[in-house]
Amino acid sequence: MSAVFQRRRRPDMAFLLPLLALLLVGLMLVSSSTLGGVRGDLVARQALAMAIGLLALFALFALDYRFLLKFSFVIYLVSLLPLAYLLLFGRVIAHVRSWIRVGSFQFQPAEFARIATAMLVAYLFETEQEQRLHGRGLARLLVIVLVPFGMVALQPDLGEALTFLPLIAAGMFFGRADRKYWITIFAILAVTGAAGWFLLRGYQKQRIETFLHPAADVSGTGYQLQQSKIAVGSGQLFGKGYRRGTQSQLRFLPVRHTDFIFAVLAEEWGFLGVLIVLSLYAAVVLRGLWMAGHARDRGGTFLVLGLISCFGFSAIVNTGMMIGIFPTTGIPLPLLSYGGSAVVATLMAMGLILSVEARRFANA
Amino acid sequence: MSPAGASREGFARRLQVAFIVTALGFGAIAGCYWYLQIVRGGYYFQLSENNRLRSVAIPAARGVIYDRHGSVIAENEPSYSLFLYRRETKNLQASLDAAISLLQLDREDVEKRVARYRTYFDFVPIDLADNLTLPEVARIESHLPEHPEFAVGVGQKRLYPMGNLATQSLGYLAEASSRQIAAAPDRYHPGMLVGQRGIESSYQDILAGRDGERRIIVNSFGHEISEESREDPLPGRNLTLTIDDRLQRVAEIYFQGHAGAAVAMDPKTGQILAISSSPSYDPNIFSGRISPDEWRKIINDPLRPLQNRAIQNVYSPGSTFKVFEAAGALADDVVTPATKIFCPGEATFYGRPFRCHKRGGHGWEDLRHAIRDSCDVYFYTVGKELGIERIGQIARAFGFGSPTGVDLPDEKSGLVPSPQWSLLARHSRWYPSETISVAIGQGPLLVSTLQMARALAGLVEGGLLPRPHLFFSAEDPATRTHYIYQEKPRRNISLMPDIVNAVKDGMWAVVNDPHGTAYNARIPGLDFCGKTGSVQVVTQKNTSQEALLPYNKRDHAWFIGFAPKDDPKIVVAVFVEHGQHGSSAAAPLARDLVKAFFGMPVPELEPPPPAAPPGLLAQGSR
Repeated sequence: MSAVFQRRRRPDMAFLLPLLALLLVGLMLVSSSTLGGVRGDLVARQALAMAIGLLALFALFALDYRFLLKFSFVIYLVSLLPLAYLLLFGRVIAHVRSWIRVGSFQFQPAEFARIATAMLVAYLFETEQEQRLHGRGLARLLVIVLVPFGMVALQPDLGEALTFLPLIAAGMFFGRADRKYWITIFAILAVTGAAGWFLLRGYQKQRIETFLHPAADVSGTGYQLQQSKIAVGSGQLFGKGYRRGTQSQLRFLPVRHTDFIFAVLAEEWGFLGVLIVLSLYAAVVLRGLWMAGHARDRGGTFLVLGLISCFGFSAIVNTGMMIGIFPTTGIPLPLLSYGGSAVVATLMAMGLILSVEARRFANA
Repeated sequence: MSPAGASREGFARRLQVAFIVTALGFGAIAGCYWYLQIVRGGYYFQLSENNRLRSVAIPAARGVIYDRHGSVIAENEPSYSLFLYRRETKNLQASLDAAISLLQLDREDVEKRVARYRTYFDFVPIDLADNLTLPEVARIESHLPEHPEFAVGVGQKRLYPMGNLATQSLGYLAEASSRQIAAAPDRYHPGMLVGQRGIESSYQDILAGRDGERRIIVNSFGHEISEESREDPLPGRNLTLTIDDRLQRVAEIYFQGHAGAAVAMDPKTGQILAISSSPSYDPNIFSGRISPDEWRKIINDPLRPLQNRAIQNVYSPGSTFKVFEAAGALADDVVTPATKIFCPGEATFYGRPFRCHKRGGHGWEDLRHAIRDSCDVYFYTVGKELGIERIGQIARAFGFGSPTGVDLPDEKSGLVPSPQWSLLARHSRWYPSETISVAIGQGPLLVSTLQMARALAGLVEGGLLPRPHLFFSAEDPATRTHYIYQEKPRRNISLMPDIVNAVKDGMWAVVNDPHGTAYNARIPGLDFCGKTGSVQVVTQKNTSQEALLPYNKRDHAWFIGFAPKDDPKIVVAVFVEHGQHGSSAAAPLARDLVKAFFGMPVPELEPPPPAAPPGLLAQGSR
């Protein structure tokens, strides 16, 4: 095998450029949505996170993913440690224990655990050379994903936990799992879903109820959705102009710089802005799928598929959540929402994808 | 190693499906946004226009301040303010013009207020004018249909029902300074009224409570439709001071037309019963917001009414220092109570003649008589024996030269001179003859009135110096929780009882012996003891012509006293700027404070002659 690090590779520009464009949009939106607030340093913090994320992206791009996959089990276990720590000793911030504080920075270990999980799933497919996923392989896939899923769900951060599930879906779909497994899993989901309803925390239940009956209460939980729909709709075709959104600037919109940042975009930049940003996301995901199809090995293929499906899933669910297509689950918008851990982790995932692409030829 | 054969084909098909699903997914999202933004865009735009969020402050009631018997010293009364919601005005300038013409406001002031809110969310209202009268409120209400961006808010303003009572020690409310905001940006914002100086400042956090806030949605007429969020205010805590308003009033009345300071204190606990500084001002002029003219008038007054003379002005102690020096000399065995020193009316030290205030001399004087007569030659001699280093140590032991730690801001330390100080501060060496001046409380030794009261408390309590304080107790009106002052341990400089008694004997004679310097201040039926003092403002003069000197060249007057002689319950220190004689200018107030304390009738107070010509600068303060 060639050296772990290789020089003079070019990252895939069709993939990297839309990512950079999204970063730029993200920075502008964080700036707009925190305008006039007391925490003026958020933009600087986000820019710092982006810089760190880009460094990580290029580092992982230069590193051979096959080398990393060999250690994926160890990486996976290490990534679960902070999650276990949080469950035992975590401090509750906004209802949940999902943050670890280091100095004046906090980080969300789940974001990094997801990458490690995707790597272990890829390693599973690299070693399990079955034509169709079934039996033991499927069981392993489920265990690998459901352990961190469960740990995050217990924090309890349901939105963050849900972003692990595309790994199972992608693994089963591209691993060509038999139809009977899909049916079984959906049946189990239906039963546990019904059971889980009784176990959900009050505020989670409220969110889901609001989703089911949005008109029922306009000023409570539905208030958020109602306000975000007004923000989005009032943007019309051209938007109200950068930093001129009345809904978002008026602070009708809660968590507008994190989960609801897309509503700020829709209000200020209008439908045109929405179209451009959605196109950028679609471009990243489609290019990612193309890269998965051209990877040199199953490990690379499934690494890209897992990571890109999580990315696409978050983008679609978050933008849909803004206008009531999906329940308000607290899934941030990749690269646009304020949040250092998410930005760094997303860029690291993108670095891994670029690393797979750069080594798609056997002689590379 | 790549997927091969049928598997590869099946995989490729699935990848195609994924492409299509992705495209459809994002397409569907885009479709929904198209529906919301293009098809229903007009509807939502209307909704967003009618969405008017207002932030309405719910002011927290500031704590009431009581004297030790529960008389109200500071309370609140409702006041009306005009607020402007920027976001709801189409033309900010037109709105400001309307407000200015409706209420006859000062344009410069209004613009300054608007500028202050530049960095604030525009649903936070601008406070355009305060202390509106009811007709003004009615005028605004009647113009609300044309100006829905205006709102009248009910706030509170501070009311000091007793007028100028312990004014400087109480402090006042004024807009938070940029320094205060920088120190606590989460609690203070521009334009907020915050305690300044005095108790209002040192107990700002206890008194202030925390303002609440309502966020409400209003329709286009400014009428509330719904409340989005509400944070209830936390009321401030009520404060009870150690001040006794009867004693305080005695001091305030006495000082009318005079500059000076007085402190009455419990010698055991350090509770300040009265703390007065004159001239003072009516603190009610600061309620609401003070106009620039009024402010200028106060700070340009040459007698500096804002200054708290009891803690911020320091003066030479004059002959009152002799009692502390006597205690030190006894402790050092420089003299015994029986030691006699001959006073011929003048003595020569280091080649310079020093006069006693009594021309003919006092003859042979022991300690008791030297204190009673305030004999200078006796204390020149004692001071020379002690030396400046030891005098300094004695002064510092009694707390001079350092703050008393009273719970008031900006207390001055005063000065205890030493040869090192002379070299550092004056760049000249200490002259031995200066020691002789310091021995009778003249020269660079500088003390505050409060330090004086504390030092005397320490002396009569056998060396236990209390920490003076005004805080008596506080009560949280919501929870009824009571906070009591935590007594600080007293500083102990251990004076033997025989030393204390010897000095007390002398101080008793000052007031109660017909030859004493303050015989006029005696209280029949009560062992009131004390010591007079005067501070030379101009040296080399004929003291018999004192009254003919211009006001600002006259001597300052001191009196310190305590009662009763055994187990004293009160100590007092009185300073009258340019009052000339301790016995005539300062002692009567000390006597009246003590009488008021023991519930004796205080006769109609006669201000000490002669009155200060108004507007003259006091010179003794350094």
